[in-house]
Formats: sequence, C-alpha cells, structure tokens
Amino acid sequence: MTPSQQALAPRLSTTLDTVQDILGTLVSRYRTDEVLTSVQQIPAREAEFRPMPDWVRTELAEAYRAKGIKELYSHQAATAELVHGGKNVVVVTPTASGKTLCYNLPVLNAVLENPDTRALYLFPTKALAQDQLAELHDLAQRLDNRFGVFTYDGDTPQDARKAIRERGHIVLSNPDMLHAGILPHHTKWMRLFENLRYIVLDELHAYRGVFGSHLANVLRRLRRVAQFYGSNPQFVCCSATIANPGELASQLIENEVDVVEENGAPSGEKLFVFYNPPMVNRNLGIRRSYINEATRVARELLARKLQTIVFANSRLHTEVLLTYLQQANPPRPAQAEPIRGYRGGYLPGERREIERGLRDGRIRGVVATNALELGIDIGSLDACVMAGYAGSIASTWQRAGRAGRRSGSSCAVFVASSAPLDQFIVQHPEYFFGSSPEHAHIQPDNLEILVNHLKCAAFELPLSPDERFGQVELPELCERLAEAGFLQRSGGSWHWVQESYPADTISLRSVTSDNFVIIDTTGGEDGKPEVIGEVDFSSALTTVHPKAIYIHQGQQYHVERLDFGQRKAYVKRVDVDYFTDAIRYTQVRVLEIAEEQSAAGPAARAHGDVLVRSQVVGFKKIKFFTNENVGSGKLELPENEMHTTAFWITLQHELLAGLPFTLSERQSGIFGLIYALASVATLLLMCDRRDIGTAVGERPPHGGADVEWQEFATTPGNEKGLFEPNLYLYDAFPGGIGFSEPLYRVCQVLLARTQELITACPCDNGCPSCIGPAGDQSERSKEVALAILGRLCS
Amino acid sequence: MSQTTIDRFARLKALQRPSVLPLSGHAVGPVENPVVGEAIDSASGSVIGAERLALILGATVKRNGHGEHLSLHCWHGGHAACDPDAAALRLLAPNAPEDIADAQQWLFLDTETTGLAGGTGTYPFLVGLAWWEGGGLEVEQLFMREYSEERSLLVALAERLAERPVLVTFNGKSFDWPLLETRYRMMRTIPPPVPRAHLDFLHPARNLWRLRLGSVRLSQLERYVLGWDRGADIASELIPRIYLDFVRGGRAEPLVPVFQHNQMDLRGLAGLSGRILSLLGDKEGTSQDGLELYGVSRICERRGEAKRARRLYEQLIASALPEETDRVARAALARLAKRDGDFARAHELWESVLGNSREGYEAYEQLAIYYEHEAREPRRALALAREALDQLRRANQVGTVAATEYRRTKGRFEHRMLRLERKASRTLLDTFGA
Repeated sequence: MTPSQQALAPRLSTTLDTVQDILGTLVSRYRTDEVLTSVQQIPAREAEFRPMPDWVRTELAEAYRAKGIKELYSHQAATAELVHGGKNVVVVTPTASGKTLCYNLPVLNAVLENPDTRALYLFPTKALAQDQLAELHDLAQRLDNRFGVFTYDGDTPQDARKAIRERGHIVLSNPDMLHAGILPHHTKWMRLFENLRYIVLDELHAYRGVFGSHLANVLRRLRRVAQFYGSNPQFVCCSATIANPGELASQLIENEVDVVEENGAPSGEKLFVFYNPPMVNRNLGIRRSYINEATRVARELLARKLQTIVFANSRLHTEVLLTYLQQANPPRPAQAEPIRGYRGGYLPGERREIERGLRDGRIRGVVATNALELGIDIGSLDACVMAGYAGSIASTWQRAGRAGRRSGSSCAVFVASSAPLDQFIVQHPEYFFGSSPEHAHIQPDNLEILVNHLKCAAFELPLSPDERFGQVELPELCERLAEAGFLQRSGGSWHWVQESYPADTISLRSVTSDNFVIIDTTGGEDGKPEVIGEVDFSSALTTVHPKAIYIHQGQQYHVERLDFGQRKAYVKRVDVDYFTDAIRYTQVRVLEIAEEQSAAGPAARAHGDVLVRSQVVGFKKIKFFTNENVGSGKLELPENEMHTTAFWITLQHELLAGLPFTLSERQSGIFGLIYALASVATLLLMCDRRDIGTAVGERPPHGGADVEWQEFATTPGNEKGLFEPNLYLYDAFPGGIGFSEPLYRVCQVLLARTQELITACPCDNGCPSCIGPAGDQSERSKEVALAILGRLCS
Repeated sequence: MSQTTIDRFARLKALQRPSVLPLSGHAVGPVENPVVGEAIDSASGSVIGAERLALILGATVKRNGHGEHLSLHCWHGGHAACDPDAAALRLLAPNAPEDIADAQQWLFLDTETTGLAGGTGTYPFLVGLAWWEGGGLEVEQLFMREYSEERSLLVALAERLAERPVLVTFNGKSFDWPLLETRYRMMRTIPPPVPRAHLDFLHPARNLWRLRLGSVRLSQLERYVLGWDRGADIASELIPRIYLDFVRGGRAEPLVPVFQHNQMDLRGLAGLSGRILSLLGDKEGTSQDGLELYGVSRICERRGEAKRARRLYEQLIASALPEETDRVARAALARLAKRDGDFARAHELWESVLGNSREGYEAYEQLAIYYEHEAREPRRALALAREALDQLRRANQVGTVAATEYRRTKGRFEHRMLRLERKASRTLLDTFGA
C-alpha cells in the first residue's frame, strides 16, 4: 500500500461507522425497521481499464495523459470505438463515470484529423453547457488551441455570435436555442451545417414526455437542414440508468443506435439509507414532517464534519431547509457562511462561487434543487440527504451520486414524504435497488407538437411533397396548413407565408404556449400591478378560478378576477387559514380504440383516442392542518375540451357483483383505487403526477358510451349498480404524449404494484399515501380498492 | 382521409388561422370575383391576380434560365447624379477601393419583405433598384408573383449588381443585404454576388440628424433635409400582409401603393446620399446648421480624421449652438486637444463645461487627472473631486440627476477622492521622512 492510500484507509471506515452511529441516535426512540426501511451497503467497485485506442492521435492522448488519464474505462473505450466506427451510440453512465470522455475523445480526434469537422453538443440546461465548456477549454489549451469551443445560448452576447458561427468547432447549446435561434437562421451557420459530423445529446433521459417529443421534432428539423447542406451527422447520447435507453435514443434520432451498458468506472463504498419519518397518527396515516426529519439528519451529518448536500424538490423547501441548517451552523467569526443554497434564480457568478467553495471544502453544506442533480462539477461530498423522492429512480441515483465520487466512502439518505410515490419507494426498497424498471416515453407524432414543428420546418426550408416528417401524410397536412393560411404551394413546394417567426411562439417545455399570467394587484411600494407567475392552460381552471386561493412562494393570493379571453388572472395578497380545492367534473368519451383486451378475466383493458371534457363547477374551502371543509362556492366556467389518448380498465359486472359493499362504498373505493393507480403509473412512466389525468366513467349495462354524470346522478339506485365503471388514466396533454400504450402493456405490473402500495400502507381507512385522504372516502374505501384489486390480479 | 384523421385535424389548435387585425383603410381581403367569370386557381397561387398586377402596373414578365419574374421600369427626372468627393467617401467607407467615387457604378437598393423578423422564412418579394441615367434616376423593380419566382429574381439582381457593383442602401447593411445573402444561400446553386463596396447611409444620417429629429425614418429625412413631401404613402408595417394576402389569392390592386412606396424610398435614398456626401465633402463647414456640423465633426472624429474634426468643433463652439450641443462639442474638442497634447486648450475647455451634466462630470474628472498626473498638484485634484461630489449631492437633492447616473458617478469620484487623500497624506509623510 502506498502512503497516500494508507492515509485514505481510516477515513473509509470512519464515514460509514459515523453514519451508522448517527442513524442509531436518530431512531433510538422508534422501532428501527419502521423508520429505517432499508440500509444498503453498496460495495466499492474496481475500475476496468482498457488501453487508449491506437487511432487516437498522439497529441490528444498526450493531452489526456497530462490530465492524468492514461487508460480508458471499459465503457469509455467501447463508446469511443463505436463512435469512431461511425455508429450512433447511447452510453448508459452513472454519475462520475467519466462520460464526457466518451464523446470528447472521438470528436476531438476527428477535429484534429480534419479541422473542418464540426460538432454540436446539446444539454438540457444552460448550466450544464457552461460546465462542459471549462473541461473543453482545458483540453483546447493543452492542444495549442487548435479547436474552438463556445457555448451558444440566450446569454451569448450579440457581437460574439458571428465569431462562434465561423470558428466554433464544437458548439455547446440547448434544444431551445437550436429550435429558436439556430435552425431558423441556418444560413448564418453554413460552416457548421456543411461540416456537421457529430451531435451529442447529453442527459438523454431528460428528454422524455413533452420535452422529448418536442426534441424529436427539433431533431427532424435539424436533420433536414443538415441534409440541405449535404451532411449526415451521427449521434452520441449519454443517459442515466433507465430501462430503455436504446429505445428512447432511436425514437429521438429515428435511426439505429448501439447501446453501451457496461460500466467500467470505479466507485467507492456507499451506504444507502431509506428513512421513513415516524408515524404520529397511525389511523390517519400522518407522519412527522419529512422536512424537519431531513433537517435532523443533515444537522447530525454536518455536526460530524461530513460535507453534505441536501436536495429538496421545490424552491420553497430549499429555502426552509437552508434557514434551519444555517441557524444550526452559524459561520465562525470572520469566515464565510458554511451552508449555502443553490437553485435556479441564483446568478451565474454566485453559482460558480458556490461550486468552487464546495470543491475546496470552504462550504460545508449546500441545499439544492435539481439544479445540482445533473453533471455540474462540485467535487466529491461525503453525504447526500434527499428530502422527498426525486420523482424517478434515475434522478435519485444521480442525486445520491453527488456524494462520493470515485473513491472513499459516502452515504446517501432518502427521507420520504407522505406522498404515495415516496411511500411506495421507501417501503419497497427491492423495487428501487433491482434492475431499473423506468421507461422513458415520448410521442414524436403527437399532432399538435408535430404540426408546430412542421411550421418551423417550412420556415427553414420549403417543404417538398416527397419529404418525410414523422409518421404522417405530409401532403395532406401541408394542404391543411395552406388552407389555414400558413403555407402556400408554389413551384411544387410549400412555403411559409406568414409575417411571424413560428419558433417564437412554440415552447419546447409545454404542448401549447397558451399560459395564464398571474397579476398581483395588491400594489407594492410603487403601487403598480406586478406579474408574479404563470400557470399553464390546463391547470388554470383549477388553480386560478375566481375566488381561488392561489399559493405562490408561500404567499397566499385571492383570485379576484379571471379574464379568460386575455389569459390573465388578477389576484390580491391575503392571509387566510384555508386553501381551495376545485370541484371538477371530467367526462371521457372514447373516440377510437387502438387496442383492447376483453376476453380474459373480468376486467377489460384498452387504450386509444379519447375526448376529455372537463369543467370546474365549484370549489371547496379547506382549513389548513385540520383539513375541515369550511365552505364552498359554485362557479360558472367554460368547459374545456381536449383530444388526447387514454388507457382504461372496465370493471365488468360479474367482477363487482359478488362484492359485499354498498353502491356508494363501491364508488368511493373506485375513486380511491384510481388515485393509487395514477400514483403508481407515474412511477412506471417516469412522469409527473400532473402529467396524468384520471376520470371514472359509467358504462350503461348493455354497453355503449359512458353516460353523462348528470344522467348517472339521476339514475335510480338499483339500476346504478348494473353500470360498469371505466377507470381512465389519460395523458394530460392535448394529443397525448405516449403514456397510454405503455400503460396498456404493463397493466399487470401496474395493478400488482398498486396492490402492494395499498396493502403495505399502515393506515386504517386510506390516507394521502395510498388511496387519498381518509376524509374524502367512505370508511371502507381501502377495503373496496383492495377487494377489486384482488380480483383483478388473480 | 379517415374520419379520425379529419377529427384530429379539426381539433388541432396549431392549425387555427392566426388572428390578424383588420387593415385600416385598405381593403385587401380576397375578393370574390377578381375577373368576372374566372375563378382563382388555388393550386398555382394567384395567376390571375399576377396577370392583373402586370397589367395595372405596366410591368413586363422577364424570363431567364431560372424562370420568370415581373420587372417594372420607370425613370424619374430631376435627380442630378452627384459627383462624390473622394474625401467624403473615405469618411463613409474607409476601406473601399478608390473607384467607388464613380457614381455610375452605384446601384441603389431597397427591398420590401414578407416580414421584419428575419430568418430563413422571410422573403424579399420586391427588390427595388435604381441608378443614375440620363440626368435622372432609372428605377427597376424586380417582383416575385409567387415564391417559385425567387430564383429568377435573384439571378436578375446578381446581373444588375455585376453591371453596377457599388451597393448603396439605407439600413441595408444590417437588414436588406444580409437577408438577400440568406436567400442566395438558400438557393445553393446561385453564388451570392459580392458587391465591390457597400455604402450605407443610415449611420451617417443618424449622426447628422438624430439630435434634431429624434428618429431617422427615410420619409422624415426627405421632408426635413430635402424638403420633399411624399403625399399619400402606405404605412410600411402593412406591406408584408398586403403581399401575403395577394400570394394567397387576394387582389392585385393593393400592391400598387407598395411599388410606389418602394420607388419613393429609392428616390429618397438617392437624394439623401447626395446631400450627405456634400455635407461631408464640404471641408470648410459652411453649413449653417450647427447640429449638422456637429454630426460631421463626430463622423470625422470616429473615422480618425482628428484634425478636421478639431477644426470643425472649434468653428462650432464659436457659433450659436443649443447649450447641450455646445457642451458636448466642447467635451469632444477637449478630448481631441488632450490627445494632441494641447493641455492648455483642453484645460480651458474643461473649465468651461464644469457643472452638473455628463460632460461637466467628465470635465471634473479630466481636470483632476490633469492636476494629479500632469501638473502634479494632487491637492487641487482632490479639491476638484470634492467639488464634483458636492455638485452631485446637490443635484441629487433637487432631482436633476438620474439615480443610476448618480450612483455610478458618485462611486467614481469617491474612489478617486480616497486615493487622492491617501496620496496626499503619503506626500506629507514623504516630506517629513525626507
């Protein structure tokens, strides 16, 4: 053992022992296995090396050697080899496995071979591009600046842009900039497009759902433009661990992709702890605040001199945690604040300072949102505390990876909130630690999204009838766009015939850019109304309807007026002890069934196109803490229609007939069941709870379409029992975003996991962690839900 | 098409016709019967409208190896070709070759486009060209009746530019020409023509007249500088819609004022370029207008013709100028004098503008620098910094200085004062030490 390794050795065990010690003190008052649901020791892993490939130019190999890289990890070598061989590749890499080398090595080698070569790197955020810039600048310096590397985003000064277009061998940007800034001006980027050989998509798993569906279309446009200039770039993608990296990559780039899944990077020993805050009220399923518990854990870790990162899921929680931890760790005289916050909204300079502080150890703790989850270099920390589930297994591992990079031991503690997803994960560690079940889904042919990008494509280059753009009949669609006055056919092609710049009105992060602005009319110091935020169209009716209490950054606002036509909500600051919950009726009408299965078993399942009509008809006022209903109101708001896709289960008569429950118990149980189903669906789909809508429809006894809710309400009780309920889980985006078919495929898993979720929940009659708050349900809801699931799963 | 596909299309928000405001005073919507008894052939655009346009304008269809486009020729008398002075041209385009002085080589250019957003989906549908001929101005307007005629139009433009390779524009450096370059690049097969030189008169016009006029729109300059009146003219922001409506099968008539507007722009540009060149060529600065003269001085200063700039500024401050311009001219002159090492003149000028104004504070600062480094009288420099700060505080109390300006200037003088105070005390110590 070399002296330096000996110096490291004692620390190795100390960290783990310290953590075990801390955990012991924290849970001493409780039943350990209820609070610490899992303590996994993940052993260290040895590196697997491969020699530097012989096609790598000497000067490049030398530059890497000077940085301390003499050999490659096996996955780096495999990826570089495939890229060098002209293949499209996706490499699956955990945090700190040296993924940037996977693409930098072959790309730089090609640039050094032929200085005309150009590459475009796309990162989901600006911050990540900035981070990569530093690494590439370092390499450029070691190679006598023989290549130019630039970031190109909204912050790039106008006067620097021309030089970047001409001299940037590698341009680091993001999909939004490519969409609105580069493609519509492709003639200015002629040098880049004529020589474009590589496109790097980093953090591939971030491109799922709406964002991914948009990106797939932006890449269609990119390939069109590249083809116009005679280039046909190859793709290199990096993804966190998900179940379908190859599928996602090939859907995005619409081509074959080789997958590299082995990982040859070493990693240190890690203790991964699942911490479920102790129960306060077992009947109602109420646990101690996870924010407070996360603070306790972090405080103890910091007290033992372990450098710690704390992740929260919202800005508000970041600030709360930061306040608690700063109070507990005041700065020493004449020294800087040892605990810092890090989230979107901090200035770039401040962020860089915090990153440096973390690397050199001056900063002992940092409270962050997901802004720090992705590859920003902050060195290796000792411990990571996650207040609330990150939403996906992939993100959780990325967060956990912030503590303990290549060597040394570290720990990660996940503190669960009482949300169903958190509770499912914390109580099913095997689900988390097993092979990744998470699939990333996209729907590039969502018509709404596709048509918007088709407009941009026409703006970029006239569309010719024999082109392909996704799986649609292009001439037909162009004809439609011509009728609507967007395109005009001339000389065999369709040209853009609008004054406007279509990319400006299309946001890659939502389906429509039809947002409601929220205007605070309270009047501050200068007495002027102020825009405080935006909500998207689909949630506007439930969150900013007249008389709603809208909560923004912890402040309550009363909605005075909703101007539907102008998309504006006028609010005033208030301080009240209640919040509002909109009462919404949602009716789903099936338009076309894509696939169905009704033969086997008592439950039929299907997926297909649906029309969702919803209307907010009123609201409830609910008192904080006690959740008492303290009033209600009626609302007359326009009905909202959305054409989307859905997955649904029909509970056939014979399934329900034998169950010993009253009709209202049964109905209440079905609502609880769909609440739990939707929670588990988000887990399987890697999506947000808001991405999936739910509705229950009643199918008349002899089949046919669901009846209207008004009609069902007036049906005599004895007939109601003969109706067959449809449980719909629909994509909460116009046109659908590709969740329905996967749900149809994994139906059995969905049902089984939902059964596990509800069974494992220790509450008596339902709680927010399983079938929804007990107050909303009948006493037997949980029983009903389990009984139905029992029959569905048998 | 299946019923579901139709339903899907019907529900697409992205397919909804964009809402547009009605054009006030211009009925440009598609008309039921453009020519009695004939219908619009929607597949090939608006052939009938296009033919009608040629008819009402008296334009001809030009054909070349790349297709067809419309061309309209006309001649405007009363425009004497200017004989530009070489020195004036150097001020405008310092790196251009000598022979740009031959005005016969000039090609005036102004385009009308389908939008102002720029980017690859914005098309110049009308390219107006003009050159000196027969004691007047010959105008040729190239027009694409539909998008497929763009190629032929661009080829014709390249030919004209080959004949007269000096491009002359108003805001063409940042708008018209880059847009045309984009179009050539989009064609791929036609090489973009490269003008021998490009004279753009927007910036000179701005220097000369913005102080007086506020903005420098061409029509406004014509009225003020040339004394012309355009009479009825179409608002330029309406132009893209008029053309797009025409292309989508609308009437041809509303395009007539667009052609006229483009001609007026070209004539205005020709007239204005003559006026600007004669102002810049006038070495003695006999212009009666102080503000114009100030503009000429600034152009000279920027182009490094310091001697001429200094002479003009001297002449200027001797004349009656608005107070603010006078101050600005003095400050500029002081900068030039300082650069020439003429501290006596600079000192005098700084003293004359001290006070609560941007130039006043600049003068305080410059004088302080002068006393500190040239005259080696740090105490006087310190006194000046103090005086400036007093001045600034008073101005802040009565509100005659903007908040950001106040903070910035204050910071600058406080910093200087601290430094000077330290220096003053050190000088004392040195004295004692010695």
